[in-house]
Amino acid sequence: MKKGNRRTRAVIQAAALAMLLLVVYAAGILISGDAVEGDFLDAGRPPCLEHPFGTDALGRDLLMRTLKGMSVSMTVGAAASAISAGIAVFVGIAAAAGSGRVDAAISWLIDVMMSVPHMVLIILISFAMGRGFQGLLAGIAATHWCSLARLIRGEVLQLRSRHYIAVSRKLGKPEGWILTRHLLGHLAPQLLVGAILMFPHAILHEAAVSFLGFGLPPEQPATGIILAESMRYISAGLWWPAVLPGLTLVWVVLSVDRLGDELQKILNPFSAQE
Amino acid sequence: MNLKKMTVLFLAALIPVCLWACKREEAAANEERDQVVIAIGSEPETLDPTRGWGHGSSPLVQSTLVRYTADLTFEKDLAADYRLSDDGLTWTFTIRDDAYFTDGERVTAADVAFTLETAKAAQGSVDLTYMESAKAQDDRTVVITLSRPASIFLNTLASVGIVPEHAYNETYGVSPVGSGPYQLVEWRAQEQMIFTANENYYGGVPAIKNVIVVFMSEDAALAAVQAGEVDVAYSTATLGTAQVEGYHVEAIPSADNRGFTLPMLPREGQTTENGSPVGNDVTCHIEVRQAVAYAIDREQIAGVVLNGFARPAYSENDGMPWNNPDVAIETDTEYAKQLLARGGWEDTDGDGILEKDGLKAEFSCLYPAGDSVRQAVAMAAAQQVAEIGIRIHVEGVSWDEITQRMFSEAVMMGWGSSIPNETYYLYRSDGALLADFYNPEGYRSEATDSYLHRAMAALTVEEANANWQKVQWDGETGTSMRGECPWVWIVNLDHVTYVRDGLSIGEQPIHGHGHGLPLIQNLSEWSWDR
Repeated sequence: MKKGNRRTRAVIQAAALAMLLLVVYAAGILISGDAVEGDFLDAGRPPCLEHPFGTDALGRDLLMRTLKGMSVSMTVGAAASAISAGIAVFVGIAAAAGSGRVDAAISWLIDVMMSVPHMVLIILISFAMGRGFQGLLAGIAATHWCSLARLIRGEVLQLRSRHYIAVSRKLGKPEGWILTRHLLGHLAPQLLVGAILMFPHAILHEAAVSFLGFGLPPEQPATGIILAESMRYISAGLWWPAVLPGLTLVWVVLSVDRLGDELQKILNPFSAQE
Repeated sequence: MNLKKMTVLFLAALIPVCLWACKREEAAANEERDQVVIAIGSEPETLDPTRGWGHGSSPLVQSTLVRYTADLTFEKDLAADYRLSDDGLTWTFTIRDDAYFTDGERVTAADVAFTLETAKAAQGSVDLTYMESAKAQDDRTVVITLSRPASIFLNTLASVGIVPEHAYNETYGVSPVGSGPYQLVEWRAQEQMIFTANENYYGGVPAIKNVIVVFMSEDAALAAVQAGEVDVAYSTATLGTAQVEGYHVEAIPSADNRGFTLPMLPREGQTTENGSPVGNDVTCHIEVRQAVAYAIDREQIAGVVLNGFARPAYSENDGMPWNNPDVAIETDTEYAKQLLARGGWEDTDGDGILEKDGLKAEFSCLYPAGDSVRQAVAMAAAQQVAEIGIRIHVEGVSWDEITQRMFSEAVMMGWGSSIPNETYYLYRSDGALLADFYNPEGYRSEATDSYLHRAMAALTVEEANANWQKVQWDGETGTSMRGECPWVWIVNLDHVTYVRDGLSIGEQPIHGHGHGLPLIQNLSEWSWDR
């Protein structure tokens, strides 16, 4: 027996997922620096009541480290998707509203950006900016705006041919007024869903680049770092430092993805039929 | 009846065939058993001894005038005889006449002179600055003149392989010709080196005929052991607890130590030539350095963090004949706290970290990111030192960053070779604040310099050793942790090695620093059980 209509269920699911993610994020922020430092007398413990995720080869509690790492990943992911979404809006509207040449140039740029593998670009940018938090943020933000920008460009092109926009223009409303009143308002749902769906990508890229050693510094508890360190010991039989944080990462990524889907259903009910 | 006879005859005929086949298989197994595959962590840069190949251990492809015995004295190798003049300045070596390079040419005194002159001119890791000249007097006699007596000359000779003058060119480092127990067959960079036994080696042909050395990271090497792909693999203390069927773990004692440097100078805006900042306002206080040294429980780190594959270290050369046994200290946190209290350090704001004149007792300890052993040792030490109110921030950074920051922060270093020179380079005042990683802490002392020079100039080993020992502790001062304490030594690592059952890797001499390379220096003594 399913309760409520599809919309109500979507709202409830979205709210629940958002709450869970918020709890993970808050836990990561609230955990003190001391809690993620190890006690070497406790090194290499398999999962138990005291350490649900076990401890790593240096005696650091893996649950604490994973939570702390997830909140770092989420910060990077949120900031990078927000910046990316900003770039996407700017570029998308510029392409659609500008002259034919501007449109052609921007479309070409988007094609070029999308033809280069993200990982390579992120590594290059992150490395050039001295790695660490800012390098990683810049790298991810600079590479993830393309598909959203393309989407927005298409949307704006479509909107511009609508009657109410034509009427506004005929009534002598300035372009800026049309942009803020009509276009952005109409784009907001797309933008929100696009940014949220970008978020898991950003997290995965953060983890991947840190895993390869081009991202966050090695003492920082971050998912990619934890996974990279676990590789060293996996041949010696320590499976939990790789499996449990890895599963957490997968869970967070899937949850955010699901959240995006639910939001899409709420904001654009037609998409539920797709 | 007939059929029965036929069957019996047929079966009888099969027996010798089976036996022959079995014998063939056995022979094949024996044939295989003169080969080993060895996984080590680091690839040599060159096989040219004049440019540092074999530094601190034997060069394998070449042979040396003298060589170390397992108890670190010398025995003759290429040299049939040698003597030193009374003033300590002239060495005369007679070369044995049955030594040939692998290209068939005889090893002559001219080759020895050529090797030493080339090594001196190359100014690589072979330090021969004190050698005036090396000249061949005749085919078998070479006379070496020094500008000042050098007690470490034999140690240097024991690691300089003799190269052939007639076959020496720019590519020698990748295609060497030598008179050692093995010759190089193939070297694929970043992948593997293949050696084969030198059938004309004057010291007897080694039992292991073919040697394949592959280069792998520690974890990949362990995976290769688990897959049975390699016979011998270099590993680390953090991985050595894994049990693999068909293999046993040998923990080879080493002089390969881990400890950190502590900047001796206060931060006064001084920089090195490259603009790196110099000095640290916390570690420039001797009571802080010594308190750190006394607060560290070395037994615990060796036993727990490194799974027992290490021993406490109290100096750069524990266990060597030139080590001063008085340098050992007991862990004593109470004494450490007293030292700090006497120095005026106290916890005024109750955060567990001591202060003095508003300065918190905290500093960073850098290690090369990716080195799991250094990371583990540094973090455990930081945890122990936190007990006495000193906070150490352990940071994994790149070597580039270490080169920039090592003059103003603690650095978890690794040293150790079986040559007393090391003490000289670590502590001489002239070497302070150079970029060579020996003395980034800026240690300078006239007393130490005078002992160092006396040790270098000593004519006898006993005299030299007595002075090396005084460098560390002369009853009042020294470079040890009881003295000025420029270094906090923590552990000497055992070199953890997976060895396939049935293979003997000989009596390994004490290993120096070097990720797996010291392991193969006595290859000629290895053998499979028959």
